[in-house]
Amino acid sequence: MNAAVIYLLLLKATMTSFAGMGSLPQVRQDFVETHRAVSDEQLSQAVLVGRATPGPLGGYVVAVGYFAGGWPGAVAGWLAMATPALVAIPLFAVVQRWLHLPRIRAAVDGVIIASAALLVGSGVTLAVDAVRQLTR
Amino acid sequence: MTRPTLHQLVTAVALDTNRTVGGGLVSIELLRRRFTRHGWIDADAHGLFVAVSRFTPGTVVLAYCVTLGWRLQGWLGALLALTVASAPCSVIIFALAVTLTQIEHFPLVRTLLAVGILVASVLVLASAWHLIRPYLSERLRVRALAVTAVAVALIVLGATPVRVLFAGALVSCLLPSPEARQ
Repeated sequence: MNAAVIYLLLLKATMTSFAGMGSLPQVRQDFVETHRAVSDEQLSQAVLVGRATPGPLGGYVVAVGYFAGGWPGAVAGWLAMATPALVAIPLFAVVQRWLHLPRIRAAVDGVIIASAALLVGSGVTLAVDAVRQLTR
Repeated sequence: MTRPTLHQLVTAVALDTNRTVGGGLVSIELLRRRFTRHGWIDADAHGLFVAVSRFTPGTVVLAYCVTLGWRLQGWLGALLALTVASAPCSVIIFALAVTLTQIEHFPLVRTLLAVGILVASVLVLASAWHLIRPYLSERLRVRALAVTAVAVALIVLGATPVRVLFAGALVSCLLPSPEARQ
């Protein structure tokens, strides 16, 4: 599979998700079902690699890119993982500019508190997953 | 507040994002500890970075590193932070993807991975505590309780993280005295 196509498909998945593994359904749809460039087993292996290595869980797209197109595909996967993060700069600039408004400050506070709740959910999921692996 | 040099920024991001398993949330907690310890950011700035990165598409920790780099060292800081946070682990993933079939069969590898994830989960929970702690003062406790209750309910119902965050923002906006936090 062409590296440019891999990049665009993975970018579509990462740009429409808001967490590391959130892109997985779209990746499976495009690479396993539509283009058949990656098997379900390879996708599972990619996820396992993403979990086993340091760094973000979303790094699994690098392995997906490799399975789909060799090392150029892996590079495409890295770029697709990194590109969406640049959206944070204009977003941060906008938030910072309007932060003095009480309603915006309240909205940001709400997001921070909700983030903490989401973190607890993620932490518990990780712990349960680890205990399952240890007792298997 | 002091600013790190570009070298200090890049080194800190590279160290803290490439030495933990269990996902980027762990790295964010390590970054928070290091950057607040050095007085490079405060709890408010960290909370703002987390809020923005949560609403940025893609991987949360990379967006966090970009906002951190951009706030402290401009565009160059953002781009270098993004590169050092994503490139080394991508190289490791590439190398592991090539040899995975052999590695995954070793029980010792699986056990070590599980222990690493267990430690990571503790760090993630610590990160949640540090985010919520500023909101536990008497003036903000109602806001914290209301938003947390709605967030937990939505999480239990299976809502996506973005919907949980939007609901949190909405509930917080609707509560009285939004100027309570000075």
